[in-house]
Amino acid sequence: METLLETRDLSKLYSIGEQKIKVLQSVSLTVQEGEFVVISGSSGSGKTTLLSLLSGLDRPSGGRIILDGQDITDLTEDQLAPVRNQLTGFVFQAFHLIPSLNSLENIMFPAELLGDRLAKEKAERLLESVGLSLRWNSFPEQLSGGEKQRVAICRALVNEPKIIFADEPTGNLDSVNSDGIIELLRRIHQDKNATIVMATHNKAIAENADRIFHLHDGRLSVER
Amino acid sequence: MKRVVNGRFLLRELLYSKKQAAIYILCVALSLVSLIAVNSFRRDIDRSISGDALALHGGDLILHSHYDLSEGLQRAVVELTEEKKATAVRTWAFYSVARKSDESGSLLCNIKVVENGYPLYGRVDLASGREFFQVLGAGKIVVGQGVLDRLGIAVGDQLQIGKSLFEIADVILYESAKPVRFFNIGPPVLVSYKDLAGMDLVKQGSRIAYETLLKMADATAVNTVAAQLRERGLVGQERVETFRDAGSGIKHFFDNLLFFLSLISICTLLLAGTGIESSLSAMLRLKEKNFAIIRSFGATGAYLLRHYLLFVLILSAVGIALGIVAGLLVKGYLSVLFSDFLPQDIVFRSSVADLSEGVMIGLMVVLFFTFLPLWRINNIKPVVIFRSESSRAKKTFSYYLCIVLGFSGLCVLLIRYLGEVSTGFYFLGGILLLLLIVTQVTRLTLYFLSKIKWRRPEARLAMRSLLRPGNVTQSIVVTLAIPLSLLLIIYLVENNLRGTYIDSFPADAPTLFCLDIQKNQQEAFRELVGDKVTLHPVIRARLISINGKAVNRGRELKKRRDNLAREFNLTYRDALLEDEILVAGDTLFRKDVKGEPVLQVSLLDTVAEMGDMKVGDILQFNIQGVKMEVEVSSIRSRTRSMLYPFFYFIFPGKYLREAPQTYFAALHVESEEIPFLENRIVQSFPNISTINIAEAAKEMGRMMQKLSKIVNFFAAFSILAGGLIIVSSIFAARFERIKEAVYYKILGADSRFVLRIFFLENLLLGLLSSVFAIVMAQVAAWSLCHFFLGIPYVPGWGASLGLVGLTIIFVVTIGLLGSIPAMKKKPGRFLRQLN
Amino acid sequence: MLICTGCSQEEEKELMVESNNEGEIIIVAVGDSLTAGYGVAEEESYPDLLGKKLKSDGYNCRVVNSGVSAETSSGLLSRVGWVLGLNPDIVILETGANDGLRGIDPEMVEKNIRDILFRLKEAEVITVLAGMKMTLNLGPSYVKKFNSIYPKFENEFDIIFMPFFLKDVAMKNELTLGDGLHPNGDGYKIIADNIYPYVLKAVNKKQNL
Repeated sequence: METLLETRDLSKLYSIGEQKIKVLQSVSLTVQEGEFVVISGSSGSGKTTLLSLLSGLDRPSGGRIILDGQDITDLTEDQLAPVRNQLTGFVFQAFHLIPSLNSLENIMFPAELLGDRLAKEKAERLLESVGLSLRWNSFPEQLSGGEKQRVAICRALVNEPKIIFADEPTGNLDSVNSDGIIELLRRIHQDKNATIVMATHNKAIAENADRIFHLHDGRLSVER
Repeated sequence: MKRVVNGRFLLRELLYSKKQAAIYILCVALSLVSLIAVNSFRRDIDRSISGDALALHGGDLILHSHYDLSEGLQRAVVELTEEKKATAVRTWAFYSVARKSDESGSLLCNIKVVENGYPLYGRVDLASGREFFQVLGAGKIVVGQGVLDRLGIAVGDQLQIGKSLFEIADVILYESAKPVRFFNIGPPVLVSYKDLAGMDLVKQGSRIAYETLLKMADATAVNTVAAQLRERGLVGQERVETFRDAGSGIKHFFDNLLFFLSLISICTLLLAGTGIESSLSAMLRLKEKNFAIIRSFGATGAYLLRHYLLFVLILSAVGIALGIVAGLLVKGYLSVLFSDFLPQDIVFRSSVADLSEGVMIGLMVVLFFTFLPLWRINNIKPVVIFRSESSRAKKTFSYYLCIVLGFSGLCVLLIRYLGEVSTGFYFLGGILLLLLIVTQVTRLTLYFLSKIKWRRPEARLAMRSLLRPGNVTQSIVVTLAIPLSLLLIIYLVENNLRGTYIDSFPADAPTLFCLDIQKNQQEAFRELVGDKVTLHPVIRARLISINGKAVNRGRELKKRRDNLAREFNLTYRDALLEDEILVAGDTLFRKDVKGEPVLQVSLLDTVAEMGDMKVGDILQFNIQGVKMEVEVSSIRSRTRSMLYPFFYFIFPGKYLREAPQTYFAALHVESEEIPFLENRIVQSFPNISTINIAEAAKEMGRMMQKLSKIVNFFAAFSILAGGLIIVSSIFAARFERIKEAVYYKILGADSRFVLRIFFLENLLLGLLSSVFAIVMAQVAAWSLCHFFLGIPYVPGWGASLGLVGLTIIFVVTIGLLGSIPAMKKKPGRFLRQLN
Repeated sequence: MLICTGCSQEEEKELMVESNNEGEIIIVAVGDSLTAGYGVAEEESYPDLLGKKLKSDGYNCRVVNSGVSAETSSGLLSRVGWVLGLNPDIVILETGANDGLRGIDPEMVEKNIRDILFRLKEAEVITVLAGMKMTLNLGPSYVKKFNSIYPKFENEFDIIFMPFFLKDVAMKNELTLGDGLHPNGDGYKIIADNIYPYVLKAVNKKQNL
């Protein structure tokens, strides 16, 4: 197995007025290809921040991030665009679908950005695989939370990324829907041998992971 | 193959943002309609005003001399007429004593000898209704009614002027060309050039005003030809003027009016711009999170910019199309709709030029004012998804380049409207300065508000929501304050223009001036004309020095308007006239311990300004050989103008009563009675000169009425359009503020509580915006009146307060209306939609 | 320099006597804009030029400019008292031009000037009368009447008479302002030269008293 993601001494500072708050302190971790990694920690421990750095959505204050052999730490926004588009997929806690597009179009969007001619077919297949074929023409505000998150996961998968980041994907869902989403992610991990990095504070979900890191006050420790 | 544009996405976005898009389209359309309409009105009105000025001066170019034209200038005129570039008419004007054929009476008349073709512009109306050129001929003259009345003769009788005996062929009812100086002694007589030699009056030893009037075939060549002629004329002896710059009292007024029209154009342009900017900003703010999401799955900044630029352009195109259609309708129907309000000779013409210019300007405005909101897209980072703070745009070289380019475009437009580079820059400088100040003051005010501890929870929550980080309160206040102040500026300037020029021609204005009434004639004169008349003592004197510094005569005499080196008319009295107010000093004069006024002088504000004089300054006068040193005790201002007598310097009575003086009287007499009264006065007091200004006053009054209509109409139109633009931008800006209502409800607040928060928040917003608007408008309007128009300024506090009230009512109403749907919905459902 | 602070006539006179140097002859140039120097600097007006000329020729004289623009003979008549308050030894009287330009009845002008001369005579002031001629545009009959006013006084009063104030200057483009009426600086030089002998005559007369 190859190392897909590696960080060295990652740190993140936020300044609120004069005050500087260290959200992350010298975080170093590696993720191998095909691993299902969980980052646990209480709310406010810096999980979301860590994920946004790993996925290239935000920039660290110090340290380096190497994703698929490429150092993405100093890439510009536009250099990051293809990384976000093809290399990574991101599933948000609050879904973040585009309200003007229907389910199918939301899923197609990243593929269309890439210029994939098969965008529609791929999106339809993904919708079908999550059991939402009939809801293809529904707009986000017409979908339930669980449905929204399933569409969001499809959107993260459409360009077949090497690594998927999921930030508390069940945080906004009830337990029945939560279970469904976790099941879906596990299936993706197993069927497609996808690499998944998921942040959650739910111990039960963490059970399924290959490895678990624990984040406490911005410091990372290996739990398993 | 990557697609450059995702058409479906664009379409979806367009359909999804219907409401905001509609408001934006409305803003663009409204802006365009106002721009097109205002610009083409301006052209129409400019044409009409030029027409008036032409008729008044009688030609495009006026060559003036007290001698026959010099050879060089004569040849130049011949060349112009031979090349068919111009038509020329010569006139000779002078005073002469006309006599009745039986030598039983004589009268000083204002004679004008004219060549065929006179008048080139305007008209001469005769009592008989016949054409002027058919009546005037060898031996036949036309005269003002005053000639007949004062000499007791009729049409058909004879009149001796110089060595010729004329037949009076007709009576002049109206002549559009007239000397614009008021002081013309004697009624008019028009004589044909065929009698010029016969009269034997125009010769060496006579005082004649020689004029050559030119009508240019190509109106655009006026200024270049004027410059050429000026080069060939004799300096100091021959004057070449165009109808626009001819030195008349009305020139200043015309200039001011045209400047006002430009001002309205500019204000409309800026109004339109801020309207577009704020509604677009509001629309894009709602989409900010969307941009971050799209970036998070790999869209480049260019991709987003491309799509949303297209998005804006499509909406703008719809707005512009709508604007053109509406603009055409407005142009077409306004003349009909407003025919009662507008002077008859103003015709609105729709032209392709107006339309295309409007569209060009509209596009420029859209591009310039959409650039800043759109630029933000380029720099939005995906991290915005996690934190709802506005990302600061990174300012690259190309950002500044675009700003500079857009700004230059705006400069060009401004200069085009104002017709002068330096004025354009003053303007821009002023606008930018105001903008800067308001932005900073808003920031400071909000900062201080945030430091206040509020006791009531509603107030605290309202403040929080206004002051939370990443909120747009500051930009909303600024973008609301700017258009409001623009509207107020238009209103204030219009009011002051009207006050200065138009309201100063009331129906009871004086129509007859009497000069040189002697001290011992006062009683008898009063008896003759009626008791009510005020006799103003006039004492001639020169100002020698101000605070010991001698008045520089050489420099003063070069001033084009009034100067301090001339002889002034002093007067004395111990009270203000009814049209005077004190602007400095507590009383007109200070009194000593015995209650007697000490030796001092009260100044009129205009002369105080000329010499930079203030209360407490020491002035030295030379009163016909006697020098007198006095302290300035007060400064006065006048509420009426032009036709009422006024005095720069007033002394307390006791000090000048013995000085040599004559008296001046301004009477209001019906114009048809004037000649008879003049006769009675001159028979009893041959030394008194009378000046009949009834005609001039009537003409001025007529013109002012007309222009007042134009100014009213124009200002009203742009204020209406601006109001609509503001309304729509408030809609755009305040529509998004509904989410909070839901949160408050979830937390158990009742509707009254929520309403109170919204009320307070919007109250504060409206108050801040309108107060800033008033401050800006008052400063700007004062500077405009003071520096550009040169007219006195009266601040309209009533209107300003009204604006505060209206704005608050409006902002609060829209804010509350916007919160109603949110309050009606069940919070759960609404929350779900928000996620 | 004369400063009138209080303003009763007595006080003024006192002030003036005080500031008078011994034996200085006060000449007051009374008249309209032509005397006042309308449109030119004060140093260019004829009273100023005249004063300098007298001084450089060694006469102890001071010339006071008491010209009032736009004044008619009636106006001048009403301020004779004020002029006499300046305590003049000699008065140069130039008036009537504005009456003529306004077409005022020449009989009126004649009467006014006669009254003025009478008052000056009563005050024992030596008078130089500058004659005026009317511009021809007013018509031959009016001009004839007007121009005949001034010469009449030469025999009627014991005055020094200068037949035409604007001699060699009137209607000369190069010697007048653009209006053809008011003299410019060069015009005033000629006027000062022209009037000089008449004023000298008056000064001599004063010295011989």
